[in-house]
Amino acid sequence: MQKHNQQVELLITGIGITSNIGQCKDSFTSALLKGDSVFGKVQRLGRQLEGKSFLGAEISDLTYPEDFPKRFLRSASFSSSVALVTLKEAWDEAELDNYEPERIGLIVGGSNFQQRHLQQIHQKHQTQPQFLTPTYGFSFLDTDLAALCTEHFAIKGLAYTVGGASASGQLAIIEAAKALQSGQVDICIALGALMDLSAWELQGFRALGAMGSEKYRDEPQKACRPFDQNRDGFIYGENCGAIVLERGNIRNKIKPYAKLTGWALAMDANRNPNPSHEGELKVIQQTLRQARLSSSDIDYINPHGTGSPLGDETELKALKSAKLNQAYINASKSIIGHGLTSAGTVEVIATLLQMKALKLHPSLNLETPIDNSFNWVKEKTIEHKIKKALTLSMGFGGINTALCLEK
Amino acid sequence: MTQNEIFELIAKHTKEVVPELENYDFKLTDSLKKLGANSIDRTELMTMMMESMGLDIPRIDLFGAQNIGELVEIFYAKTQSTS
Repeated sequence: MQKHNQQVELLITGIGITSNIGQCKDSFTSALLKGDSVFGKVQRLGRQLEGKSFLGAEISDLTYPEDFPKRFLRSASFSSSVALVTLKEAWDEAELDNYEPERIGLIVGGSNFQQRHLQQIHQKHQTQPQFLTPTYGFSFLDTDLAALCTEHFAIKGLAYTVGGASASGQLAIIEAAKALQSGQVDICIALGALMDLSAWELQGFRALGAMGSEKYRDEPQKACRPFDQNRDGFIYGENCGAIVLERGNIRNKIKPYAKLTGWALAMDANRNPNPSHEGELKVIQQTLRQARLSSSDIDYINPHGTGSPLGDETELKALKSAKLNQAYINASKSIIGHGLTSAGTVEVIATLLQMKALKLHPSLNLETPIDNSFNWVKEKTIEHKIKKALTLSMGFGGINTALCLEK
Repeated sequence: MTQNEIFELIAKHTKEVVPELENYDFKLTDSLKKLGANSIDRTELMTMMMESMGLDIPRIDLFGAQNIGELVEIFYAKTQSTS
């Protein structure tokens, strides 16, 4: 566990969100609290295989800010374009334009997130590789997303990507917190990159048994059902989120959303996708200890909750072992789907926006919870003032992360 | 392909690579570099030209042009030698 310097408060002062249920905080919050989802058969070019169709939730009508550089559009991947748009919202809210560029950093959560974009280029040039666009020589790298953001926003402190499968988004937040604590930078943005799956990854997830939905293929709105007895795997969702983290002692006038008071990372020593009760319990306990909180202090949990049969069950067992049944719990993925690399950041954002709205969003399709001893927010939005929240992420390859956020 | 057609094609593709030049009136004496096309932009442009003209030639053969007019000449010479 990281030693936490209690002298330095870590504040979240800006949020950017681009999701399949809405672009920007206002529309995202509104759709989230209403439980307005957009699941259907995926339509984006490159997500079809002959004889196969996949369910998911895709972003429609991405709006670019007026000052968005047009020349980036031609060569930027979809993940990169969405990242630039998302970061712009967080950047402006935190008023970073006038801050020293050398003291600002960017950590991008995710690896191999441009799959569909790359597959489309391969397909286009398959018969005439000599005409492959030269920018492919660097744009195929995930770091191109970070590089584009540094160029557009003139970030000069640090910028790199971190890969932790579906825990990447939280991993980026943890790395940003560490960069602030070490004094490398004063302000650090964590961005959960949009995972742009091609049909090959979708088929891979299906073949693995990780992705639903065979049961609800003709009723897409019912397919995504974390923690429900009839769940049969995760449903993909296009999402991207950015949060601005900063040391509490550098600026006074920015009103923070919340404080990041605890974080933990633990590996299961396991290459496979299966979850671990022990690993999950370990990060829950470690983050609570770091935040100096007991289980009874936590009043809201944003779980990983993907809809995976074994994953959901294991997570609830870990939460139960940590005596966290009393806290409110809902499942953001039931509304926005599983963003994979972006999930950890986007769900922290969902937590912060619920904290601000003084409400908790519903959990769609949670008709028969697999464990009734939890304090579920089911089909209805409820009023609640979140004070101390716990959020969890887990990824293939035995990675577990947890964060504590306090108002 | 005539020299004028090659010139028009260079103008078209340059606008795609550098959208800021969307309304610019290109001249033969213009230097791509001075118009704001960096080395990567120029490499992109050469590939787009090769694809549009169906030319599979070594990139090194396209080096050396100081302005658009000279680039037109290089491409024109290639069409003559390959036709």
